[in-house]
Amino acid sequence: MNAVIENNETFVNKNLENINFKMVAFSLAGKDYSIDIMKIREISKAKHFTYVPNSLPYVKGVYNLRGDIISIIDLRTMFNLPTVSSDGKQSDEIIILRLEDYLLGVIVDSIDKVVGIESSTIQPPHPIFGDINIKFIQGVVEKDQRLYIILDVERIFGQEALIDEVAPAEYHAPERFSEDKVEEISMGFIAETLRTFSKFNVTDLNNRWVDKRFDEWKTLRGNSSEALQLHSEADSDEFLSKFYSSDTGRFWSDDYRNSVGTLFESNMAGAIRIWNPGCGKGYETYSLAALLSERYKDASIKIWANDKDLMSISNAPNLIIDKQNLPEYMDKFVIPVNDKFQFGQELKDIILFEYHDITHPNTFPEVDIIIARDILSFLSYSDQLRMIAEFREKLKSGGLLLIGENENIYSDDWKMVKSSNITAYKKV
Amino acid sequence: MRVEYINPFVEAAFDILKEVLGDDVQRGELYLKSTSKSVMGVAAFVGLAGNVEGRVLFDMSMETALAIASEMNGETLTVLDDLGKATITELANMITAQAVTKLHDLGFVFDLTPPAIFTGENMEITDNEVEALIVPVITKQGKIEINVAVRERT
Repeated sequence: MNAVIENNETFVNKNLENINFKMVAFSLAGKDYSIDIMKIREISKAKHFTYVPNSLPYVKGVYNLRGDIISIIDLRTMFNLPTVSSDGKQSDEIIILRLEDYLLGVIVDSIDKVVGIESSTIQPPHPIFGDINIKFIQGVVEKDQRLYIILDVERIFGQEALIDEVAPAEYHAPERFSEDKVEEISMGFIAETLRTFSKFNVTDLNNRWVDKRFDEWKTLRGNSSEALQLHSEADSDEFLSKFYSSDTGRFWSDDYRNSVGTLFESNMAGAIRIWNPGCGKGYETYSLAALLSERYKDASIKIWANDKDLMSISNAPNLIIDKQNLPEYMDKFVIPVNDKFQFGQELKDIILFEYHDITHPNTFPEVDIIIARDILSFLSYSDQLRMIAEFREKLKSGGLLLIGENENIYSDDWKMVKSSNITAYKKV
Repeated sequence: MRVEYINPFVEAAFDILKEVLGDDVQRGELYLKSTSKSVMGVAAFVGLAGNVEGRVLFDMSMETALAIASEMNGETLTVLDDLGKATITELANMITAQAVTKLHDLGFVFDLTPPAIFTGENMEITDNEVEALIVPVITKQGKIEINVAVRERT
């Protein structure tokens, strides 16, 4: 009798569990996935889809569902999982999704059952989740000792349609990617992890470099999507290690200095004003100050140098240099301090180092030259646009903007000028 | 803000607070802010002029202000009366003055305006086009945020 009561109690307790989220579970390459039941119109079996020429590789074809023509997508191909060859005789299991304004069928390996859970037990996905990009995963949930990955179908399929309309510039996938979905997913994942780990935003400004680097990366890491992904800050730093412009974080070499020098107008005189955001520890700024003060002896030169990294910039005004790091052209600007060197007043008077975030208001007059190497890529897309507009506003007409070697601006507002491997932009 | 200005303000705040409140004073991480900022309850304000333009704002809650004023006067204050206000004003003045003295030694000339004090609830300060350096200082009596906005005259 007691046992019966106990059993009854557990039964009651079990029923008390608040089930407020139902999902359809299915398997794909041996793993359990699920989709919110509210997004599903029906489940169907079908074969012989009508092949549509020139469609993306994961589009199996179209299918006539009682008069509605719907696209059928193969989830295995889409998620870069090994495909099983079907003899065409067996019907595929299809989940018909009801997305915001259209229907869509997805082929899965086998449909399992409807699982009811409590929505509060859904846990966020782990940042690195196998083969599927994290943004496609709504969460993970455990039920009866099985772990289900809940797919966010609006995101997976909604985004495809939106990619060109809503976010054309936030990583605009080049043409060739659309032929190969596998690469697009890997590339999308890399763009995402670069943003997470290094605050690097892949946009029009730098996607040429990112594409090139991605090809290099494939030869370096191999082609499997697992090996290609960036798993840590170290990976991300390594990916970006080739991004930075020449002579970053040290004094400019003679070659670089000459190339930059030839970009400047030879007849600048009077007051020359320069803005150098993202000056870091100040090596770049001192190199520039030395170059200008030699070339334009009679001009009054002023450089506003800023950085938002307090640790980097705090020693810039009183930079102490070892003999071996000091290029010859700097000799006349430094004074010995113990067995090291410091800059003399001549260069110090030219430069004003400021702890400043350039996305905050920039309050100084018009400038002749802006040197902002490798900083725009580390701003959000909207800030990138805003800053390029602000650079333009702050420059005198005919003024020169120098950005990172691997950054490009495509706009009629700017005229490209080149000197050996350096590209600069003139305000039109 | 010019890099050379940062340390004098941080050091002055730290030194003076240590002197008047005892050794238990800690410094929080510095950061920059440019949008309008809500004020915790009591704000002492000192203007700067000369080669530069700007201001220093000392922001704290009413409880912190009372605790600091009580500590400095050696008696327990329950309301921020004239004495309490004068004490906080004086503290702002001491810190700013010491920072300005340090800056003067480095060759930067600043003048101070007489300090003013604002008290009230749900206050917000908005100064357009100004980026401020925030120096948070944590004392036994509570947190003080020193908000320094200085720019070169151009």
